[in-house]
Amino acid sequence: MDIGRINKELKEIERDTASGVRVELRNGSDLQHLTGFVQGPKDTPYEGGIFKVEITLENSYPFVPPKMKFLTKVWHPNVSSQSGAICLDILKDQWSPALTLKTALLSLQALLSSPQPDDPQDAVVAKQFMSDHETYRKTARFWTESFAIPPSQSALEEKIAHITEMGFDRAAAVAALEAVGGDEQAALERLLG
Amino acid sequence: MDAASSGAQTEPAPAAGAPERPSDEEILAQQNLIRAEQAQRSEYVGNEEPLSALKEEYINGNQNFVQKISKLESAYGRFRRTRGDGNCFFRGFVYAYLEGLLLGRDTAECSRITAVVQGWKMRLVEGGFQELVFEDAMDLLLDQVASVSKPDSGSGPQHEQLLINMRDDTVSNMIVMFLRLVTSCEVQRREDHFFPFIMGMYDEPPPTVELFCQRFVEPMGEESDHLHIVAVTDALQIPVRVVYLDSSGHPGGGSGAGGADLDATVHDFVPDACPPGTQPRVHLLYRPGHYDILYPR
Repeated sequence: MDIGRINKELKEIERDTASGVRVELRNGSDLQHLTGFVQGPKDTPYEGGIFKVEITLENSYPFVPPKMKFLTKVWHPNVSSQSGAICLDILKDQWSPALTLKTALLSLQALLSSPQPDDPQDAVVAKQFMSDHETYRKTARFWTESFAIPPSQSALEEKIAHITEMGFDRAAAVAALEAVGGDEQAALERLLG
Repeated sequence: MDAASSGAQTEPAPAAGAPERPSDEEILAQQNLIRAEQAQRSEYVGNEEPLSALKEEYINGNQNFVQKISKLESAYGRFRRTRGDGNCFFRGFVYAYLEGLLLGRDTAECSRITAVVQGWKMRLVEGGFQELVFEDAMDLLLDQVASVSKPDSGSGPQHEQLLINMRDDTVSNMIVMFLRLVTSCEVQRREDHFFPFIMGMYDEPPPTVELFCQRFVEPMGEESDHLHIVAVTDALQIPVRVVYLDSSGHPGGGSGAGGADLDATVHDFVPDACPPGTQPRVHLLYRPGHYDILYPR
């Protein structure tokens, strides 16, 4: 294992604060188990989210790709909504040792911007993406607000607060918002209907 | 390949209904298993063997091979196997080259190759490769060159050390990786020269030279073609001879009754800048899909 290289990679990611990706060590000085963070790209349903990625480096890294999967739940055709497993060519047979953890995380960010429904990881999401794009967008946005945006800034929390102020309990508010893809007005109508 | 199906068997069925693709972890686990099996079967670089050991393999099979090997024995007495992991060309090439430097005590060539390799640092950076990706690997290759040219000790321990290094997972693969990046960079620098060859190699060729390199040159385990050899021998200015050994010749392999009239095809890769008549520094034996090292008599 090329420890020198991994250290250099981590330093470079730390230095480049504008890249929108970050990596942290998970257990002390263990370089094989890392956590990545990817900012949701602008003008996508993932905007504003911070997506956590579990990174595992094998002894043979960088000759083999880093193992990556989303820890944050993501609604995306190329990410398993169940397990966070990612379908991305460079994490499989198209990995080149010229790539780095940073380029891999940036590729995940690019994948969030440009889903590839023809090569899906989650068949249900991919089908929805193709056949009912609006619902896909709403669901992806709802998941982003539910799981990827820190609670303090979450628009979802605001919506839940508004609805609970009207006397509905929290579980009902969440269920109604989920059912309508996060639209507060529609959720209220549903609850009042 | 049934990596997908066998991987999927161990995965609990996802609740969402439709079957999911095997995860990266499953695919990698499968690849690692295959690698581990290969490692058990053979070293990255094997021990020297007499060429007759190779002939033994074919004695009950295709006689065209037997005839060709018999004729080869006049020029080559021994060979050394490399692991068939898709890196065999690069690994065999660099091992044979370094071994040649060591046994020939060729300090002039050591100086030349050191300067050439150092010169690639800037070209790689210009070509878009990050220094942190290749600098350790480049140093490792230069270390090997420096140690083979050390005058102090006899060649025995150094030869032993070279073999140990080239059998080491990290050192050996880092050096192979460096050669792949140099090859990729060379192909991209001379895009106009290489693009037509790439177009001819595939039914659906990659749309750009860059994509070709990312897909077929840089990744470890991607097999080397004629083009890779041209690029790396040009990039490092190291002439190579490849002896092509295949079953062509008498239909069905013949019975051997026709006499030893079959020759293996020889192809020299001599960089343009080398003077005419330059002798190859490295001799490789190609059998379809695999390269081993040959030792001239």
